[in-house]
Amino acid sequence: MFDIIPTAFIFFAGALLVAIAPSHRLRSAIAILVPVAAAWQVFNIPTGVFAQTEVFGQTLEMMRVDKLSRVFALIFCIAAFLGNLYAWHVRDRVQQLAALFYSGSALGAVFAGDLITLFFYWEGTAIASVFLIWARGTIGAYNTGLRYLIIQVMSGVILLSGAALLWRETGSIAFDKMTLGSLGTWLIFISFGMKCAFPLMHNWLQDSYPAATVTGTVILSAFTTKLAVYALARGFSGTEILIYIGAIMTLFPIFFAEIENDLRRVLAYSLNNQLGFMVVGVGIGTEMALNGTASHAFAHILYKALLFMSVGAVLFRTGTSKASELGGLCRTMPTTAIFCLIGAASISAFPLFSGFVTKSLIVDATAENHYTLIWAILVFASAGVLSHSGIKIPYFTFFGHDSGLRPKEAPLHMLLAMGLTAFLCIYIGVNPDPLYALLPYEVEYHPYTMNHIIAQLQLLCFALLAFVILMKSGLHPPEVRSINLDTDWIYRRLLPDVVMSFGRGLAAVWHSAGQSARMFFVDFYSWLEKLLGPETGISGVRPVGTMTLWVSVLLSVSLIFAYL
Amino acid sequence: MAYVPSDKPENLPILGRFLAWFTKVENSKYIIGGLVAICIGLFLADFTYKKYGHFEVEKYKGFYGAYGFVMFTGLILLAKTLRYFIQQPENYYGDKAVDREEYPKEQLEKLGHKDV
Repeated sequence: MFDIIPTAFIFFAGALLVAIAPSHRLRSAIAILVPVAAAWQVFNIPTGVFAQTEVFGQTLEMMRVDKLSRVFALIFCIAAFLGNLYAWHVRDRVQQLAALFYSGSALGAVFAGDLITLFFYWEGTAIASVFLIWARGTIGAYNTGLRYLIIQVMSGVILLSGAALLWRETGSIAFDKMTLGSLGTWLIFISFGMKCAFPLMHNWLQDSYPAATVTGTVILSAFTTKLAVYALARGFSGTEILIYIGAIMTLFPIFFAEIENDLRRVLAYSLNNQLGFMVVGVGIGTEMALNGTASHAFAHILYKALLFMSVGAVLFRTGTSKASELGGLCRTMPTTAIFCLIGAASISAFPLFSGFVTKSLIVDATAENHYTLIWAILVFASAGVLSHSGIKIPYFTFFGHDSGLRPKEAPLHMLLAMGLTAFLCIYIGVNPDPLYALLPYEVEYHPYTMNHIIAQLQLLCFALLAFVILMKSGLHPPEVRSINLDTDWIYRRLLPDVVMSFGRGLAAVWHSAGQSARMFFVDFYSWLEKLLGPETGISGVRPVGTMTLWVSVLLSVSLIFAYL
Repeated sequence: MAYVPSDKPENLPILGRFLAWFTKVENSKYIIGGLVAICIGLFLADFTYKKYGHFEVEKYKGFYGAYGFVMFTGLILLAKTLRYFIQQPENYYGDKAVDREEYPKEQLEKLGHKDV
């Protein structure tokens, strides 16, 4: 049917096997073998367009392979492998199926050469991923999942509307570079922006990721948002507005992350901040900047997964991921602590760790293109990343005040997944050339210059010093059990309140209208009663003789008139 | 936690014993001292090579250190201020929200150190 099997189908075939496999060990084994097979295919496939099919006179391209799609596909396979290895203990078939359908859809979307194929896989990621939230099995998770699903599906519907308008305008459904202008392109842009967690459209991310299962969050963190970054890089590279959107994205989440208590939500804010760097890269749109976006997405998926894994392991062992309840776990979970520190160093972009060799491509691209303010914001945001992901996550979990908790070290498969991820974080940092070779354009960049190393170390170490001083002086905000309001307040509190007040108003009007109507009828009845009721003269009781008398009188009068 | 062992060093894993050193109050002076020394070293390092950059300000000695220190402090203090406006109790969205729920126990493996 197709000249090659679309990579997504490998995942779907694996999902079918998982659906019928009797033991959970077998299912887990399939779940980690499928990404390996897919990665092998992605690595060896030549560039070009494959698996084309005609539907309703339109050509759908299921496999558009070029360097941009390949690098994203490859990291998605690695993320699926690591995530599924981390989830080796999971017996829940639904989660295992969801993980495979979700990562398969993300790969399908990355390879989509047209907007219709993209739409199908776009919705596929939304529908499959919500089960990773619902799998938690609580009412709170169910409600959060519904909110997540509504927003994700809405993004897909907007994408389809945009694609339809664009088709009417240009006669093509090809998914290539677009220029913002017509309603169609704007709708597609907004649809991508929703999944990419643009400012004010971001809060589904922080709302839903902490609500997923221990392993679900690790898998969720890799795909949806990076798929959106890929889509932006493919469709809107060089769109200037993205530079400003991206800069705001790097900036505002660091304030929220700083005061958030749930560490998995801190990481969701931090994810949002990292997406900002990638969006800035797309906005600048030069070869260097796009290389920066692709490589940063690659490195980011790994260290973000590593951080989610380490906090997940703590949640798995202690039942909480709240900073106010944790602290001092390095005594009995030291290996997890070390892996968390490696993730923290990578996201903070310490030299020899992955963030250092990827983020600097983007930051330097802003400087090279003379975006002074954006550059200053990104450097500030880099210090901000250190504050919440570099310091807060490891410090308040594994060091800091002693919570008295002495949990057992994470299980072996989790340590293995974290260890492999940590190895990749360091390997990329120490030897970036293999990653650079995968990037869409040729890289002429040397991250390890004296200038760059000292500058970055100064930024981070002086920020650390500031942290120490703030902690010692008691100025650092303490971790307390609380939540912080964000834009989800609008649809979780404001709109329901407005609707409820409207409802109450309507009920009040209805009630008073009913009262008035009743009063009217009561008054009318009593008037009628007064007029015609049993007490009135008209309905009084008269003896039969009276009637006879009056009949006699009438007859007599009639007789008199007759004889006159 | 079913069982909380005493923190006798022999009860902790070797790596845990090593990391526990960093949590002790009496050791904090070494950690802070080390950090200060590193910062001074990094500042002095700026005098040993020719600084270049796209912006003039990057060429100032210790620019990145000062920027990191000031902006980090500003960030923390601003974030602390933000708390006054947006912080709410955990049950703000009711008791049926994720923030108030216990994580389902059957999906966890809550074991203490040295638990069988």
